[in-house]
Amino acid sequence: MAGLKNIKWKKYVSYVVLAAATVILAVLSFAGALKSSDIYLLEKVAISIMLAVSLSMVVGFLGELSLGHAGFMCIGAYLGGKTAVLLEPVLGEFPTLFVALILGGIIAAVFGIVIGLPALRLRGDYLAIVTLAFGEIVRSVFMNSSDESFGGSLGLDTPRFDKEYLFIIALVLVLGCLVVTQNLIHSKHGRAITSIRDNEIAAKATGINVTKYKLIVFCVSSFFAGVAGVLYSYSNYTVQSANFDYNYSIEILVMVVLGGMGSINGSIIAAALITFLDVKLQTILTGNLAVLQDLFYALILILLVIYNNAPALRGFREKYNISKLFARFKKHNPATVKDDEAKWDRVPTKIKMDEVLSVDVQVTSPYTPDKSPKEEK
Amino acid sequence: MKTGFKKVVALLMAIAMVICFASCGNAGYTKDNTEYVIGFSGPLTGGAAVYGVAVKNAAQMAVDEINAAGGLNGVKFKLVATDDTHDATKVAANYASMFEGGMQVSLGTVTTGPGLEFSKISAEDGIFFLTPSASGDDIPKSGNGFQMCFADGNQGKVAADYVNSTNLTKIGIFYKSDDAYSNGIYKQFKENLNDNIQTVEAVFTGDAQDFSAQISTLKDCTFIFMPIYYQPASVFMTQAKDIIAADAVYYGCDGFDGLAGQFEDFSVIPQEVSMLSHFDSNATEGKAAEFIQKYTDKFGADTLNQFGASAYDCVYAIYNAMKAAIDAGEEIDVTISAADLGEILMASFKGGFSYSGVTGDDITWEDNGYVSKEAVKYTLKQANSAE
Amino acid sequence: MKLIETLINGLSMGSTYAMIALGYTMVYGIAKMLNFAHGDIIMVGGYMIFVTMSATGNPILGLLAAVVFCVILGVAIEKVAYKPLRGASPLAVLITAIGVSYLLQSTAQIIFGTASKMVQVADLGNWNIAGLTIPIYTLVTLGCSMVIMTVLTLFVKYTKTGRAMIAVSEDKGAAQLMGINVNKIIMITFAIGSALAAFAGFFMLMKSPSLTNTLGAMPGIKAFTAAVIGGIGSIPGAMLGGILMGVVEAISLTIPAVAPYTDAIEFIILIIILLVRPTGILGKKRREKV
Repeated sequence: MAGLKNIKWKKYVSYVVLAAATVILAVLSFAGALKSSDIYLLEKVAISIMLAVSLSMVVGFLGELSLGHAGFMCIGAYLGGKTAVLLEPVLGEFPTLFVALILGGIIAAVFGIVIGLPALRLRGDYLAIVTLAFGEIVRSVFMNSSDESFGGSLGLDTPRFDKEYLFIIALVLVLGCLVVTQNLIHSKHGRAITSIRDNEIAAKATGINVTKYKLIVFCVSSFFAGVAGVLYSYSNYTVQSANFDYNYSIEILVMVVLGGMGSINGSIIAAALITFLDVKLQTILTGNLAVLQDLFYALILILLVIYNNAPALRGFREKYNISKLFARFKKHNPATVKDDEAKWDRVPTKIKMDEVLSVDVQVTSPYTPDKSPKEEK
Repeated sequence: MKTGFKKVVALLMAIAMVICFASCGNAGYTKDNTEYVIGFSGPLTGGAAVYGVAVKNAAQMAVDEINAAGGLNGVKFKLVATDDTHDATKVAANYASMFEGGMQVSLGTVTTGPGLEFSKISAEDGIFFLTPSASGDDIPKSGNGFQMCFADGNQGKVAADYVNSTNLTKIGIFYKSDDAYSNGIYKQFKENLNDNIQTVEAVFTGDAQDFSAQISTLKDCTFIFMPIYYQPASVFMTQAKDIIAADAVYYGCDGFDGLAGQFEDFSVIPQEVSMLSHFDSNATEGKAAEFIQKYTDKFGADTLNQFGASAYDCVYAIYNAMKAAIDAGEEIDVTISAADLGEILMASFKGGFSYSGVTGDDITWEDNGYVSKEAVKYTLKQANSAE
Repeated sequence: MKLIETLINGLSMGSTYAMIALGYTMVYGIAKMLNFAHGDIIMVGGYMIFVTMSATGNPILGLLAAVVFCVILGVAIEKVAYKPLRGASPLAVLITAIGVSYLLQSTAQIIFGTASKMVQVADLGNWNIAGLTIPIYTLVTLGCSMVIMTVLTLFVKYTKTGRAMIAVSEDKGAAQLMGINVNKIIMITFAIGSALAAFAGFFMLMKSPSLTNTLGAMPGIKAFTAAVIGGIGSIPGAMLGGILMGVVEAISLTIPAVAPYTDAIEFIILIIILLVRPTGILGKKRREKV
């Protein structure tokens, strides 16, 4: 069992959990133990996870803010849906699904590159607004399409996939998406991508091809958004462009930010939780209580974000965080030092890359070399 | 390391067990019902909330009245209203939660976009629905749905017939290009309009509140067809009141209803305002007036519009149909499944069932689900110059 | 003639965007955060005007009440939702701003219901000149946004607080070392931003008197786009961007073939402008240092 011990479980825990959940849910579904409401929820969760993981590549790892993720999804949903409508009578259900997924993903990826191009020139919020604009343009184009092409304001009628299988396929695709993103992130390319996030100019100076990596990330991210869109079109009877507005992009962004920037596992958990919360609030608060949905959602959101991020609460968080609580029940073996514990930022001598290279050092930083402001004048 | 793995497995087993227990008793969601459950999905929050809230209020009022009068052979009704914020993606979850909560008959959805999704999902279970206001032409196509409102296409056609019967040669059209309702009426209207009538078109999208450009486009028209809802219409009329000719006519469809309630004094708008509808919320006589009185006493005039009136009729129509079916010897009891009740009701609605209520007398339904009743042209307001 | 008419319509639409964009750009320029709740503060201001006007019937009193209430609300939001996150990732603040936006919308629905309210602030009529009809509110809105723009520019340039604002926007840490109370300056910025939102609400109602709880959402996004086109953080830029957006919208709405695509066209223009000038028309180009 020595081999097993050397595997870094933490890296694979998401695979294991997801795969196990898929198998168990599949068994339950075939045994007829899942209600339609569970299945709809699972489909939504799978789509949300895929969206959050793919957006997390752009936001969490590349460090660019994108507010147009729903736009890529919209492209995938419409093109996948249209493919399904046209091909299903010819090819049958499963081959059509396959073709639709590939096609929807690839076309979304092409648009991802198109949007990645301005990303080379624009920074931060300016890029954010361009992606938002892109999402709204896509929505508007599909909204005004002719009835014959994409259904216009009524939306496109798409065949719904057998609901007993679709969520299993969706979960398997989520696994696929995870394999691709995790492998990309943990490779040398992934390190190049995170170095662009930390400091683009420094990354360029070390010989990293910034253009190439930015385009790769946008391309992969939008590919999976497109795939999620195809899944969406298969999990609904209609695809209506009104649903893909900037609010939806923001909802995906909320999942990524709540999950913690640059944490894929965090994105998965946050996506699942938020989707679950959304659906439960929506189906439990009915009638006169419906007005409370947004109120609760907003309060939970604000409190969670403040709790997670407020610098003033750092001490509190460290004292009462979940892994610490779990650690109490864990047998601690001082002989094995996990490599996760030797994180760079835990070592007090760590100086961030941008500070080493910085000409105008940040005054508030405790590691600033002595240099009084007067000298600068 | 291994403990971590065990924990994961244990957790998954626990989740699986919870789901298993939660979903035991898959068959027969209605077997524990003590009341007949009517459900619908509509926008109770967000931009279209005023329509969903009107439906919820009026349907609840009808249910309360029926229950106060002893229900159906002593069995009461219960209304479940879920919120879809006019978003089709939320319909599946709403429908499933209501269906699993024992819903036996439904009012469908309030708006067309979510309604397209609803009609197909509900067809899987064969549940009967009678929608008060989802007027899209495709809504009843799933076979289990009927409409209390006029289908968009029919409204467009009737409006075009009216315009053809006048001697107008040039008309203006103002519609919302990203709205299913507005577009649906517009398309049929254009199709049925005589070729010799010239049209000037202006559109808006989204929540636009500034119509200066559209007003400029339309300012020479003396007849403007506006298949839109009353909120943007009220804004358009306010902004256009001194620019468009004072003797011009604004002509709308059932979406116009509620317009008069927007203005403290409707005479600030000099033009004539008419609509083609099944209900007028300013009615002073008949069943409509009675309904208006009851509704405003209970919920105020804020949300009074044809959506509510139509929903009120829907509940009573379903009640009457069930009652008639029982009288005709059909077996309906409180635990009847949605599919069984659906079959009975569909047969009844297709078999010449007729209903008279707030939105019309002797209402019947065609086999394809469209309503057949009289569309009345209401003049909400004469042109000021005509007085 | 048609062209002049379209331009006037553009000015009419643009003046509202400009008014909202001024508030956006103030807050963004100094606090460096996208305040997604700005549009909803406009909505709150609108409801405040509605409440005051149904009690007193006086629009000016309504405007005053709205300004006071929005300033208090803006400062309170800043204290509760944004200030605890000072120093955390800017994205976290973005998310709380979205949360605040939902919160305000649903609170408004709970208090005022779902039906739209008619608030006739003032009927100023039209000005007919040489065959053209110019709504007076266009001129008033345009004039007021010019005045506000000038006052803001002067305030930021020549007062002590204003210059402290610039310092804070350049570098919070350095500003603090120079003896500037950063928290206070950001609070003042939010107060000004919220007051501007109240003004925007007033002028929006003057133009289209129908008030709902989603009043500010779409104009907010459009105005933000306008602020970015003009160069976010630049006060004259916000004005320019707003007018430009309005004119583009008016032109596009007048051409039947493209009218349904108006939103898309506005956003395409945004992308083109940003590709040519990555920091907007009047935005300062910042040299990036390592």
